Amino acid sequence: MGPLIVNEIIPEGLNLFLAFVIGIGFGFVLESSGFSSSRKLAGMFYGYDTTVLKVFFTAAITAMLGLLFFSLFGWIDLSLVYINPTFMTSAIVGGAIMGAGFILGGYCPGTSFCALSIGKLDALAFIGGLFIGVFIFAEGYPLWETMYKANNMGAPTMNTILGVSRGVFAFLLIIVALAMFVVGEWSEKKFPRDEY
Amino acid sequence: MKYIIKLAMVMIPLGLIIAAVPENTTKQYKLTAQEMINEVQTGQQFVHPDAIAAQIVSNDPELQLIDVRSKDEYDKFHLPNAINIPLANLLNPDNADVIDQGIKTNVFYSNGSTRANEVWMITRQLGYKNNYVLLGGLNFWIETISNPEKPRITSPDDEFAKYDFRMGASQALGGGGQVAPAASAPSSGSAIPAVTPKPKKKRAAGGC
Repeated sequence: MGPLIVNEIIPEGLNLFLAFVIGIGFGFVLESSGFSSSRKLAGMFYGYDTTVLKVFFTAAITAMLGLLFFSLFGWIDLSLVYINPTFMTSAIVGGAIMGAGFILGGYCPGTSFCALSIGKLDALAFIGGLFIGVFIFAEGYPLWETMYKANNMGAPTMNTILGVSRGVFAFLLIIVALAMFVVGEWSEKKFPRDEY
Repeated sequence: MKYIIKLAMVMIPLGLIIAAVPENTTKQYKLTAQEMINEVQTGQQFVHPDAIAAQIVSNDPELQLIDVRSKDEYDKFHLPNAINIPLANLLNPDNADVIDQGIKTNVFYSNGSTRANEVWMITRQLGYKNNYVLLGGLNFWIETISNPEKPRITSPDDEFAKYDFRMGASQALGGGGQVAPAASAPSSGSAIPAVTPKPKKKRAAGGC
């Protein structure tokens, strides 16, 4: 059956509309989980609030289990699902830049728009910085093109790298996620802040 | 802390299940049984040997003959420029580019129609296009092209035209046919009349 668009079950034009609807739902859940507060997001780095970790890892393992069960029932052909290619160098460099921006500004790109939608001015400033960054990247592209495209690893998945089946890796990831939640809870008790 | 235990009670059993079951690698059929029945009933996947012979003779680059018999049989005899994909190797990823494409016209053949038709049904249900079956298989090919029966003297002219074409094609393809003496029958002219091949391109209604 799935993927719906690849198999022409729904027209391609509907893709963006569905993305719009799902995006609004995503933004709503982000906001109601408190992701529009930069202090809450920064709490991830200081250990007093690990909501980010819990929300995103719960989302990841839920989606992962959903896809694997859909595949098991024959509802989706996972070989047709697009996997983003991995460029190792730019993943590391970009991750470092994004992390630095995250701790400096208190938002990641998605949550900054989420915060802007409820009228936060710091989010507006953050988005201004985001567009400056986009501009610098685009204009200076020839300077970092080599690095940007270095170390293309294709589209490897963790389970093939580790040499285990998809299902076993999924189970391991669930255990790791739950363990991280326990550590997160511990950290929130260890580094508490009354008001943020 | 309580929610972690709740989450664990849901996620761990599901994770155990997904770790224990084998991965589902089945390819899904894209046509329903009824759609398949409709296609099989119209029989539009069949291409007559005459059309194929004309395409081979005119070196039509669009034609891709695929021999679905075993490799031994293929090595003994196969049609010109045919490639060999035995039924067992059909879904081998190496063959995906050949059977699932939108440019060439694939024509499956075996000794009769049955095996080739089975292959066609599988490819059709997987949603692949441009795949056809040689009507009657090699047996009918031998009967019509390599060894055509001479029409009776009272037959209509197009029977003779067809016969001439088949003799010509058979010679061009290195078959065993002999050219009929010119005086014996009203000949339609050149040895290989330009039969316009009609690859059946029409897609079935109600396909995927």
